[in-house]
Amino acid sequence: MAKPNIYVGINNEINGGMTSIGKIIRDAWVFGLIDESETCEGWNFAGVDALLQKVNNEWDKYGCLASHLPPELREKHFKIHDIAIQKAKAVGWSGDSETDDEDE
Amino acid sequence: MAKVYDAGVKDYRETYWMPDYTPKETDILACFKVTPQDGVPREELAAAVAAESSTGTWTTVWTDLLTDLDYYKGRCYAIEDVPGDDTCFYAFIAYPIDLFEEGSVVNIMTSLVGNVFGFKALRALRLEDIRFPIAYVMTCNGPPQGIQLERDILNKYGRPLLGCTIKPKLGLSAKNYGRACYEGLRGGLDFTKDDENVNSQPFMRWRARFDFVQEAIEKAEAETGERKGHYLNVTAPTSDEMMKRAEYAKEIGSPIIMHDYITGGWTANTQLAQWCQDNGMLLHIHRAMHAVLDRNPHHGIHFRVLTKILRLSGGDHLHSGTVVGKLEGDRDATLGWIDIMRDSYIKEDRSRGIFFDQDWGAMPGVIPVASGGIHVWHMPALVNIFGDDSCLQFGGGTLGHPWGNAAGAAANRVAVEACVEARNIGRELEKEGKDILTTAAKHSPELAIAMETWKEIKFEFDTVDKIDVAHK
Repeated sequence: MAKPNIYVGINNEINGGMTSIGKIIRDAWVFGLIDESETCEGWNFAGVDALLQKVNNEWDKYGCLASHLPPELREKHFKIHDIAIQKAKAVGWSGDSETDDEDE
Repeated sequence: MAKVYDAGVKDYRETYWMPDYTPKETDILACFKVTPQDGVPREELAAAVAAESSTGTWTTVWTDLLTDLDYYKGRCYAIEDVPGDDTCFYAFIAYPIDLFEEGSVVNIMTSLVGNVFGFKALRALRLEDIRFPIAYVMTCNGPPQGIQLERDILNKYGRPLLGCTIKPKLGLSAKNYGRACYEGLRGGLDFTKDDENVNSQPFMRWRARFDFVQEAIEKAEAETGERKGHYLNVTAPTSDEMMKRAEYAKEIGSPIIMHDYITGGWTANTQLAQWCQDNGMLLHIHRAMHAVLDRNPHHGIHFRVLTKILRLSGGDHLHSGTVVGKLEGDRDATLGWIDIMRDSYIKEDRSRGIFFDQDWGAMPGVIPVASGGIHVWHMPALVNIFGDDSCLQFGGGTLGHPWGNAAGAAANRVAVEACVEARNIGRELEKEGKDILTTAAKHSPELAIAMETWKEIKFEFDTVDKIDVAHK
């Protein structure tokens, strides 16, 4: 099977968007790197990777922690991620799936 | 007229069953769980195990008389019932120390778990425990640095260390992999870790990984003011290649490397551990393949034996199981081998599956690593069970945090510090865990979200391999 090179978009993601790329997109919304209506559907993966580097640069300003964000950004972060978590839970995601594949 | 000897088979028990024998301080002692084929007498089979795990494979019948058999032979000196299991029995065997090369767990295990496991009269055989005499312990190099020196190197005291295996296993570029390490370390972890499957595959060759990870460590150290590390996996197809990777890790400034001691082999592990000791490097040991050997209650090698082998061969960390969480591990048995890793003297304690007193003398201890299927809600129990001299490793419990890797790391760091603080003022962690974590989460949104993410998870599978208990 050929490797896909086009992203399906955060609204069409597995686990209700609770994935690595989903996190990149939500953080890009928080930092205003893309509009909150942008789902990245149809982007190629180089585009997603470029977005990741921009997101990383933003996080570096705040020690990578939401609790270090200035109040306005912190509130925006909480709101965007809270909606995402509730949406993912509604389609069956839970933390359980995150600890399925572990080395002991 | 000279005495005449008949060539032929004589009963093993005539030579190797010695119920009146008192083991010497210098003997290596072993306890095997023996499951016989139908109709085979216990004494004969126990004696056969003693023979075939000592001199039986290199002396036969009348030619025994040409060697000093009485000195070199293994002696089965006791047989006991297995509590709760009538299909098998314990055989206790003493081996003279001079039967084995000094400082070589390879030589000992080649004898003790070599040909004997294929012996036809056995239905199954399990090596339950070994007592290594102090005289033999002192011929082994042991852990490269040990627990106290590791704390001094890291300048971290009074709490468990925190780690995380970087996932997804096979999909990250070296640069993005390094970034994930940085985020975890920046968020509050002490260590990140290569997955055991990550060696030097085409998608991420070892040198690129080492370089990007070291950059991550240095960035996190500069920003946090703490010493950080990443277990760079140097497990390799040959020991020369393994040593090349270890040398490079040292050259770029990494404080710690990693090896899989069962799949990589004990010869390679002992070589690497000695090199680490000579070069001031910490050595993290993963145990891939252990369950092949230790999970069947009737056949194989118990993990407490594999633990002792590692302490002698050398390693500063060893994965121990978690007791709580998704993965296998009886609590009493796990506490038994945790003691074997860390303490200098361990008393026989059948309730923990420990068959012999074990004196490690001044040999440094090994830090147990609790890893796999655990998250912040397990933290109170983990701190209570493992204590400070441990490494608690949350993989999915870090990287699965909905806010990202650094948030997951911060949640675990806040949780562990809250549990340690509560313990230090006398609170009961496992009873009051929810309250302790909830209070801490008021000041840490990262912990609050982690508790929300994992709160409904329960793992309550029974363990396959339990301590033998009476049923009569």
